[in-house]
Amino acid sequence: MNLERVPNEEKLNLCRKYYLGGFAFLPFLWLVNVVWFFREAFVKPPYTEQQHIKTYVKRSALGLLLWVAALTTWITIFQHFRAQWGEVADYLSFTIPLGIP
Amino acid sequence: MPVAVFFGCAFIAFGPALALFVFTIAREPLRVIILIAGAFFWLLSLLLSSLVWFIAVKASNPENVSLQKGLLIFGAVFSVVLQEVFRFAYYRLLRKANEGLAAISEENLSPISVQQMAYVAGLGFGIMSGAFSMINILSDSLGPGTVGIYGDSQYYFITSAFMTMAMTLLHTFWGVVFFDGCEKRRWWVIAAVAALHLLVSGLSFLNPSYEGSLPPAYVIMVLMAAWAFFSSGGSLQTLTQVWMCESPFLSILLYSGTTPILHKCQGVAILWN
Amino acid sequence: KLQLLSLNIMDGQPSLLLTCLHICPLPGVGCSSVQQKIYVQLNKTFPCVRLLNATHQIGCQSSVSGDTGVLHVLETETDLDWVLSSGPNPPYVVLMVAEHFNRSTMMKLKGSARVAGVAVVISKAGPAQGFSPHHSCPNQNSGVYSDSYGPELAGCNVTVWNPLGNSLSYEDFRFPIFSLHEGEEADVIRKCFLDHNRGVNGSDPAYPLCAMQLASHMYAVKDTATCMRRNDIQSRFSISPEFVCDALADYNVWSSLKPLNNSGKGHLDGESVVIAATRLDSRSFFWNEAPGGESAVGGFVTLLAAAQALRAVVEDHPPSQNILFTFFQGETFDYIGSSRMVYDMENGKFVIDLDNIHSLVEIGQVALHRNGQLWLHSDPVSRRNSSVRSELISNMKSTALNLSLSVAEPDVSQPLPPSSFQRFLRARPIPGVVLTDHMSAFSNRYYESLYDDAEYLNVSYPSGLSPEEQLEYVTDTAKTLAEVATLVARSLYKQAGGLDDHLSSINADPKIVTQMLYGFLVQSNNSWFRSLVSPDIVKNLVSAILFPASGPQPPQYYVGVPTSGDPVKMPTWLVQYVLANFTGTLRNLTQTQCKNPEDLEGESKDLYSYFWVQGPVPPNSTQGEGYCVRAPVRLVKAHSPAFELHQYSSRDYSTWTESRWKQIQARIFLVASRDLEMLTLGVGVAVLLVSLVVTYFINSKADLLFSSSRETTSTAY
Repeated sequence: MNLERVPNEEKLNLCRKYYLGGFAFLPFLWLVNVVWFFREAFVKPPYTEQQHIKTYVKRSALGLLLWVAALTTWITIFQHFRAQWGEVADYLSFTIPLGIP
Repeated sequence: MPVAVFFGCAFIAFGPALALFVFTIAREPLRVIILIAGAFFWLLSLLLSSLVWFIAVKASNPENVSLQKGLLIFGAVFSVVLQEVFRFAYYRLLRKANEGLAAISEENLSPISVQQMAYVAGLGFGIMSGAFSMINILSDSLGPGTVGIYGDSQYYFITSAFMTMAMTLLHTFWGVVFFDGCEKRRWWVIAAVAALHLLVSGLSFLNPSYEGSLPPAYVIMVLMAAWAFFSSGGSLQTLTQVWMCESPFLSILLYSGTTPILHKCQGVAILWN
Repeated sequence: KLQLLSLNIMDGQPSLLLTCLHICPLPGVGCSSVQQKIYVQLNKTFPCVRLLNATHQIGCQSSVSGDTGVLHVLETETDLDWVLSSGPNPPYVVLMVAEHFNRSTMMKLKGSARVAGVAVVISKAGPAQGFSPHHSCPNQNSGVYSDSYGPELAGCNVTVWNPLGNSLSYEDFRFPIFSLHEGEEADVIRKCFLDHNRGVNGSDPAYPLCAMQLASHMYAVKDTATCMRRNDIQSRFSISPEFVCDALADYNVWSSLKPLNNSGKGHLDGESVVIAATRLDSRSFFWNEAPGGESAVGGFVTLLAAAQALRAVVEDHPPSQNILFTFFQGETFDYIGSSRMVYDMENGKFVIDLDNIHSLVEIGQVALHRNGQLWLHSDPVSRRNSSVRSELISNMKSTALNLSLSVAEPDVSQPLPPSSFQRFLRARPIPGVVLTDHMSAFSNRYYESLYDDAEYLNVSYPSGLSPEEQLEYVTDTAKTLAEVATLVARSLYKQAGGLDDHLSSINADPKIVTQMLYGFLVQSNNSWFRSLVSPDIVKNLVSAILFPASGPQPPQYYVGVPTSGDPVKMPTWLVQYVLANFTGTLRNLTQTQCKNPEDLEGESKDLYSYFWVQGPVPPNSTQGEGYCVRAPVRLVKAHSPAFELHQYSSRDYSTWTESRWKQIQARIFLVASRDLEMLTLGVGVAVLLVSLVVTYFINSKADLLFSSSRETTSTAY
């Protein structure tokens, strides 16, 4: 969809949908929201709905950051301690590496 | 680090083709289509000749060494002839397509000239044949080993890459000259292209004495480049013009007041504007 | 993506060949795949693989695609220094002859990060000083002696049975180790090394260098509990389960003098059985290389010959008690076979139970006795006030008097050598003896190693004999083993309550012993074995020979894991059929009747097994006349109870598993110098950059350059 051709209310509506959708454990929606609406929120000349879009984009970015931080931490911990955890880690793994602990 | 060999060989073999594609083909959809169709025509010729070769090998006695050698030479000749036949078929197809393109375009003019089509088609042939001769070798160049345990030359990968590059460019030039010959109904030109193609293929039978195969192939490539240049409208005059006007000498000349040449360049520029 | 495409092309042979037409890489006819010009595959190699038990992993591991290193031949100490510190091109793959394959060298290599792998060239004869990669105290944790049973005898405190054992087989190496036999391939490797890897006049060798890649990537890791858990997760959650390990398992062979009803399990009232046991398996450092001459073949050939010798008497004068012959599989790995049989007996899953056992005679290593001196080992803990045991020993001693053998007991305080009998003692203080050729430490200098083969047992033939003549030639080893077999047979007969009058007619036939030794140690695919086994197994016998060109091949006695194509190991089949032919009777049945004799009168599948046997092939014919043999010979699972009970960390039962792997591969090739590689890359980058610049320039000036065409073009536009 080309945002240029969408009326401002529609933009806000879309942005809000993506923002709310992200709460359903879908951080990628927030990522899309941030990338897609960044221009609308911060670059475009001001218009009435922009203030709301700005808030949504900011919150989406914040949520995304939290997700990235949480996932990075968990992945680091898991990769680091997987061999040590043994049985628990095997049951947590989707694919078990062959030939290494 | 066999990865270095892989990238080195890939750049040598496909670098020129990549550059040509990026700067001359990629931006125009019609050229991309012609390129891919050209590659497809080359593939068709390969398919047919491999079929014939396969049958011949299966039907013959595999123990008979001289017969197999003969079959290989026959296969090479047959494949070359078939490639040229398919080049001609592609030329016919493109002519027809050109008429169609002209008919649907606004000014009843084709958006692409025959010379351009020739160049793009030739490059398509070249890229495909280059890919087929190089990809096996490239995948083996990833290692861990290199050629040589049976006493073969350790320069196998790099020479293969250079040969592939030569073949790719040769196909491009042959394409240009061949189409020009067809256009002007000069059949000796077509015959010459086929003969040179045979010659280059035959040279590869000299391997692994690469000094016997590579330099002649490159000489032929340079000659073909010149021929293609002239047949597609280039001349010594335009060459010197571009060289003089665009070379670093230009600025020096500009300020040294060597007016005749400066004049000439300006003349071109004026002509352009 | 590239890989895929190239693979597709490789599959299409014709297109590949035509591809070569432009660039024919090599002289001669046709263009073969580039791979064939780069690599020399080494086919006659055996890897060291990873095995796991309750606590450890042992064996070797390589990376997924294999470990590559510059080849270096180890001949002197300086070569070792070269590999470990001074050589300029690490990592190295070390090629060594068997003399250097010892603990000190291997541990030095193991400790170095400059070693990518080891290839060992196996010579015909072993090192004179002896070599055993096994433990010096075999199976010490799974035998009977422990803190609660004869603690002063536990852990080889009194006698170190295998003093030459260096435990190399039980080390965990992080690099691959392969073996290859002296011959063509070893010469090719050496030549490659000499041609490329030796510097001129002491200078560093110049590129290209000869290198070797060894691939033996093992799936399993850590211990049996881990790998069994991963098997379990895979089978439960994965669409295409990838199992990582399998329990070492095969089948025990047993037979009885009088048939026992196989459908009834558990205690048999009034039945008293003398068990004659021996082991069927062996191992070495390398996978599936286990000639097991002294450690297994000598013993079970003796017991087979004894079973055959008894046949002459038992039909007319059967002893009052039954005799049960058992051949245990997997004993090398913490007594898999015997522990399973004892477990089955304890749980009423075997035809008899432990209470039915009168006494037990085990044949240990007997083929290397000196001057006919044999030793009877018994358990010092359980032997107090056992009249049966002293009767057994006196029986044996008195029997030996009539033969050219002498039987003695070692010092009283000595424990039992490693033996299946120990597993029975763990369950019940059964009276019994183990017959061996050693008083304390093994006579076998090559225990569980590659050199414990026919040559070591002196099973050798005068030169110039054809295979058929070798089969019939009675070697000295066969003669002495036949004596031992006679001793065993007579003692068993006497022990089972037979009368002394008939003893003299029990005699093992040296000719049969020599045939067995030939078949089990030299060439399993021989006319005699082929005549004794079923047609299917004849096919297997022929196809099991991996390298037909490299001479006769004996079966290997590594227990291994059961596979769908190979559910029972060849030695087990052979022993079963040989035993059936020795102890069974000929029945006049057709092949279909023989397969299913249930409905026929006088036949019973509960009492007997029926074997359709190919029979001897007449001189001018290809097919023998088959016949049906009926014998009370059975196979029972030799699968450790630990896996039945899912106790993968069991201390009581064997927990050995073998890792799975995808490919085992060894190859040599040349590696290019860093300089040439970088040169190629540099040239490539230069070509690319020049092409980009030139093309950009020409393209931007195309209209100027091709001015005359410009007009046509512009008219076209």
